[in-house]
Amino acid sequence: MQLTRDEIMERLKDIMISAGGGNEQIYRECTEDSDLSADLGLSSIGMLYIVIAVEETFRIRFTGVGMSDFRTVKDVIDYIEEHQE
Amino acid sequence: MKEQKHSVFGLKYWLYDFAKITAAPPCLIAFRPKYIYESGQAKKKIRGGAILIANHTGFFDPIYVMLAVWYRRHRFVCIQELFEGKRGFFFRHFLCIPIDRENFGLDKLNEITGHLDNGCLVSMFPEGRINEQQGIASFKSGMILMSLRSGKPVVPIYILKRSHWYERLHIVIGEPFDVKRMYGDRPTLAQIESAAKALHDKEYELSKLA
Repeated sequence: MQLTRDEIMERLKDIMISAGGGNEQIYRECTEDSDLSADLGLSSIGMLYIVIAVEETFRIRFTGVGMSDFRTVKDVIDYIEEHQE
Repeated sequence: MKEQKHSVFGLKYWLYDFAKITAAPPCLIAFRPKYIYESGQAKKKIRGGAILIANHTGFFDPIYVMLAVWYRRHRFVCIQELFEGKRGFFFRHFLCIPIDRENFGLDKLNEITGHLDNGCLVSMFPEGRINEQQGIASFKSGMILMSLRSGKPVVPIYILKRSHWYERLHIVIGEPFDVKRMYGDRPTLAQIESAAKALHDKEYELSKLA
C-alpha cells in the first residue's frame, strides 16, 4: 500500500518520538524543511537509529546511501516515497 | 554464543594466517603478555560472533588485541583512509573493514552485522582514534547498534601501555556485555548512549586490574 507524504511524515514523527533522543515537542512540530542535525538535534548515531526503525516500519532497505545523504526530513520522506512497495 | 561457522584452516585466509603464525613467536617474546581476567566467565574462550573493544593508545594496539584473543581471526574496523595507496594492500588482506567516519552508511552497518551473524570476531577501538591524552576518551555508540542488530555480545579488553620496552604487556579481559539482554530489542537513544557509557566505565574498572 502506497502511503501519502503526510502519512509518511506522521509515522516518521512517531519513530523520532519513540527514539527519545530529544525534545518531543520539537519532533511533533517539525516540518519537511527541518534540518535533521541542526533543528532536530540528531547525532550520527541518532540518524542511524532512525534509519533502522524506518527500514522496519516501512519495510524498505537503505542501500548505497550514507547518513550525510539525508540533510532534511524531506530527504528522508523522498527516499521512503521512492522506495516503498 | 553460537559455534564459529568458519573453518580453522582455509586458503581464503592464507596470507592472514601465514602472517599471524610467523609474527606470533617474536611478538610473544617481545611483549611477554600477561593475561588478567575480570572473572571466571571472562576466562572462557570467545566462541562465535562477538565485538571486541579495546582502549586505543598506540599504533601497535591491533597487535596487542590479536595477542589477547590469539585463537581467533579478527576483523578490525578501520578508517577508510588506511585503505588508500600501497598500504591498502595490507589492510585489504588482513580482513579489515573500512568505514567512512564522515558518512557512515547503513550498508556498512549491515556488512559488519553480517560478519557477526556468520560467527566472526569484529574488533574495534570505540574511542575512534589513538588517544594521546591521559585516561580513556569517551566511546562512540556505533558498537551498541551493531551488537543490538546482530544480538552478539561486546567483550571489553584493556591494554596497559608499556612505559619501557622490557616490561611485560598487561592485557585485562572483561566479561561479555550483552546489550540486548540488558536493554531489550529496541532501546531508546538515551539507553544506547547509556550502554556506551557503561562500557566506558567497565574499561576503567578493567584498567584498575592491570
